[in-house]
Amino acid sequence: MGPIIEAQGLERRFGDLVAVDGVDLAVQAGEVFGFLGPNGAGKSTTVRMLTTLLKPTAGTARIAGYDVVRQAGDVRRCIGVALQDAAIDPLMTGSELVHLQAVLHGIPTRVADQRGKELLDRVGLTGAADRRVGTYSGGMRRRLDLALSLVHEPEVLFLDEPTTGLDPMSRLALWEEVRYLNRERGTTVLLTTQYLEEADQLAGRIAIIDHGRIVKKGEPRALKEEVGSPTLMIEVEGDPGPALERLARFGEERPCEPGMLAIGLEGGAQQLTAVVRELDEAGVAVRHMELNAPTLDDVFAEATGRRLEGADEPAPAP
Amino acid sequence: MTATVAAPPVVNRPSPVRQSLLLSRRAIFAVLRQPQVLVPSIFFPLFFAALNAAAFDRITSQQPAFAAQFDSFLDFLLPATVLQGVLFGSTQAGTEMANDIENGFFDRLLASPVSRTSILVGRLAGGAVLGAAQALFFTGVLVAFGARLHGGIGALLVLVVCSALLGIGIGGFGVMLGIRTGSAEAVQGSFPLIFVLMFTSSAFFPRELMTGWYEVVARYNPISWILEALRDLISIGWSTGDAMVAIAVSAAIAAGSVALSLRALRRRLAAAG
Repeated sequence: MGPIIEAQGLERRFGDLVAVDGVDLAVQAGEVFGFLGPNGAGKSTTVRMLTTLLKPTAGTARIAGYDVVRQAGDVRRCIGVALQDAAIDPLMTGSELVHLQAVLHGIPTRVADQRGKELLDRVGLTGAADRRVGTYSGGMRRRLDLALSLVHEPEVLFLDEPTTGLDPMSRLALWEEVRYLNRERGTTVLLTTQYLEEADQLAGRIAIIDHGRIVKKGEPRALKEEVGSPTLMIEVEGDPGPALERLARFGEERPCEPGMLAIGLEGGAQQLTAVVRELDEAGVAVRHMELNAPTLDDVFAEATGRRLEGADEPAPAP
Repeated sequence: MTATVAAPPVVNRPSPVRQSLLLSRRAIFAVLRQPQVLVPSIFFPLFFAALNAAAFDRITSQQPAFAAQFDSFLDFLLPATVLQGVLFGSTQAGTEMANDIENGFFDRLLASPVSRTSILVGRLAGGAVLGAAQALFFTGVLVAFGARLHGGIGALLVLVVCSALLGIGIGGFGVMLGIRTGSAEAVQGSFPLIFVLMFTSSAFFPRELMTGWYEVVARYNPISWILEALRDLISIGWSTGDAMVAIAVSAAIAAGSVALSLRALRRRLAAAG
């Protein structure tokens, strides 16, 4: 069987702006695939094309074998979509929305009501089922949004930044739900995120997207191993330039925030004493120093020359 | 998970009729759940009716032609009051559509196997029901204050049908604006247009008593045609001709505006698409 999500040369322009610039993708049934990238990288635009909400300017995409342009209706039947910012009508109650969504998918009323109850229960909204959505908290809205995208038991679930703006508890609960769906129901999940940890925790494979292009693709662990040496980050008094020169023999320079210096420390922790001695001899005053095993941020940095962490609002650690 | 018994396969057959019905119900609920949005469309028509009845009753009753047809100025005002309420209230459909687009619910609908026309039908059917309900409400209030329906049940029925059609007509116009701009503010900004449409018709003053450009504008304003036919039905008595004129003009407005909103929806889907 071919990949359940497949894109070739997917491209979307808005006037002169190329939002998505030739994305190739092959996600197998049963995978959790993560799209990692900063704001404006083209993650949402790609998801909008894959979910039939936006027609590609060029390229093709197929979901479960159906073309997203020519067989959009078939695609919509097999996908569940939870878009950014939990798109729900504040005047309706949770159970009404679930019922509406079920009817839109053509599920018989009796089945719809039963399944709606189960779903609301699963996401912990039974108590709030008859309250208007306008009174829900951000976390509750996301959970309802997820429940809505599951009423028809879709083969493929698209989650666009499912935890952006969520508190740590809600984030963990949502991760757990995604894992459950994938493990117990075999639902294929494509999620976008700007949080390194989310991609690391949830996704079996990730694609790093930047300026509309996929710059790296693979399993998080393999990608991190590819980076190899751990990153040594040093904050010094004054200009880090001279210190960086002295440390050049310890490893390649890596991208970091201004005022800091970062190198990929070949030889790892054993080299630390040598580094400290070198800095001491040079009379460099060190303010802060840390040695980190490679993270997805290092993978991102290596591919793009920038860091993702701290580029936007920092991810609250769960 | 051994306890999980394989559920019998459920065949999902999205039905445009069920979808439209449920979306219509949603549109009606949306209004009932924020009754404050109806306040202007209930208050203004009754306010104008009270004001005009008090101000013009004496003057108009001294006009022989007017006095011959109308028992009171309230009879004259009945259809105008109803249509005013319907016209003011119907922009709500457009505001709701814009809200859906703004809060992303529209995208959720589009990503579901929903027939695209169901989305419009739902909104507009909501507008029709609201229009009909307003017709009954305003007629009830004015009759309580002494207005009389000489055309009987038939006249009331035509009034309700016209209101429902205009609910679709004005609602469709608002929905078109909502789809094109995606902004509730822009839809509400069209409110003065409806004011102008109403005040340049013969809604509040008999056309026979108008002069100059006002009379010319009122003569060609389709709202005048509907109003005058309704007025004859209400104050003189049943006439199939009048009933047909009122319904035909309302239906034409509804058809035109449905076509416009459908085109706006297609364009939006093509552009986003």
